[in-house]
Amino acid sequence: MMSHASVNLKKYHLIRNLVFGWVTIVLLAGFLLDIPKINILEHTARNLYFHVPMWFTMMAAAFVSGYHSFKVLQTGDPVRDIRALQAARIGTFFGILGLLTGIIWSKFTWYIGTDVWWNFDPRQIMVTFQLLIYGAYFVLRSTFDDPMKRARISAAYNLFAMSAIPFLLYVIPRQMESLHPGAEGNPAFSEITHPIMRMVFYPAIIGFIGLFWVLYTQRVRVALMKYRITQDSEL
Amino acid sequence: MKPLTKFVQDAAQTAQESETVSTAYDSLWTGGNVPTQAPSALEQIMLAQDKLYVVLAVVLIIWFGIIFLTMRTDRHISKLERSVEDHIPDHSDDL
Amino acid sequence: MINWIIGSWAVLEKDLRLEMRSRYALNMLLMFVLSSLLLMALAIGQNPISEHMQIALLWVVIMFSAAIGLGRSFVAEEERGTVLLLQLNVPGTQVFAGKLVFNFLLLLAVDGLSLTVFSLLLNMQIFNLPLLITALVLGSLGVAGATTLLAAIIARATNRGPLLPVLLFPMLIPLLLSVVFASRQALAGGFGWIGAQTELVTMGAFAGVVITAAFLLFEYVWTD
Repeated sequence: MMSHASVNLKKYHLIRNLVFGWVTIVLLAGFLLDIPKINILEHTARNLYFHVPMWFTMMAAAFVSGYHSFKVLQTGDPVRDIRALQAARIGTFFGILGLLTGIIWSKFTWYIGTDVWWNFDPRQIMVTFQLLIYGAYFVLRSTFDDPMKRARISAAYNLFAMSAIPFLLYVIPRQMESLHPGAEGNPAFSEITHPIMRMVFYPAIIGFIGLFWVLYTQRVRVALMKYRITQDSEL
Repeated sequence: MKPLTKFVQDAAQTAQESETVSTAYDSLWTGGNVPTQAPSALEQIMLAQDKLYVVLAVVLIIWFGIIFLTMRTDRHISKLERSVEDHIPDHSDDL
Repeated sequence: MINWIIGSWAVLEKDLRLEMRSRYALNMLLMFVLSSLLLMALAIGQNPISEHMQIALLWVVIMFSAAIGLGRSFVAEEERGTVLLLQLNVPGTQVFAGKLVFNFLLLLAVDGLSLTVFSLLLNMQIFNLPLLITALVLGSLGVAGATTLLAAIIARATNRGPLLPVLLFPMLIPLLLSVVFASRQALAGGFGWIGAQTELVTMGAFAGVVITAAFLLFEYVWTD
């Protein structure tokens, strides 16, 4: 029985509990530890620990989903398809969270008193792009009745659409000014990430990616169970 | 090479500035020219305590999102448990 | 290598001949382009719009035309029952190559019509026509590459609706940004070839990557 076809419960429980503890500590450290005084940002610099990891997590999800899609094309294994889909779902979830938290952060920090909610920022566009691809991926899946075809064709779309991502990374920053660090008018990332902030920031990224893994694996367990039940329905 | 990239940057800048359509959003951060009104009530709350509540809002959004996701997964599990008991296969692929 | 070109050419020739006989797809596509352009021009009215807006609207029409007009390349095979015939006689990459060139040519026709009509309707001041045409051609190459593979994908789907635009538009976002910027350099206030240089290279790279990915993935979509 291939390891990806079922979930190793001991490993799952271990990692889940570790992640819960880890993220709790990150939350506490994020609020209780001191941060350097920065103009305009003030306390919202702490959002570094919470908003930015959403982005990294969505990227990790995209990577996992793409990997499993690749495996679907290679082996035709329906379990890989389940994993690709669940990674896409949780990736979408974190992407939406990233957008929402980014909007709230920017509106009340830099855009106070204005009507600006969306600032056409490169990273914002990239997240939207990935979300649109996943939206299309879900819609595409719904148009197929045959599970084998659905798995294969949606995997092909997932990989095809992702091939356009590097260009977003390359094109947009050159054309648009940005709120994000390193762009015109904003202190560069390295200035903001004072050593003490890095101490919480890097663990935060790891913690949230771990959280992604827990939520993703949980849903994979449910999906695998449903797959087994609907396959041999006389139980 | 340098003069060239500066050239392109200037080009992009003048191209943007010559728009007749509003460019509020992209020149905003660089001390732009968007007229601002006094902060509304909601904004004043957020601004208090050195904008700490903005961080709280961010964390709450993430936390409620996770609650929502967990509840949905729980509902999927309940549906499955029921179908196992009643031997009713659940064919929808919406998980 | 020669065989590959011959095979691809055969697919292309077949599609061209069928098209020339009835001109069904071509006529409908060109009428769609015409009506959309007129619709936009009327909506804009006499109000002057910036160069950036002119290019943006032009490209929006081109993209919608691609989504609507090029989607039939594989569906038509399904409807005519010739899918199996193609699969048995011609290797996958040649089918794709033939269809890709066919779609590219259709798109060039769309570009030509759009540019001509739009520039007249909006009194576009084109300072650098060769640049504009290059940008259109390079952009169309990327659009054709993405659309052809996605057309193969939707041909396999059972219930379709506006599926091709849904799949296509997200993918074209990076291209759209580049192409609008590059095309805009050909109009008033632009900086000509120098200004558009990096974007043109990016567009070429995009077309290259998309077409390569499409070639790699086509077999998986095409064969059952």
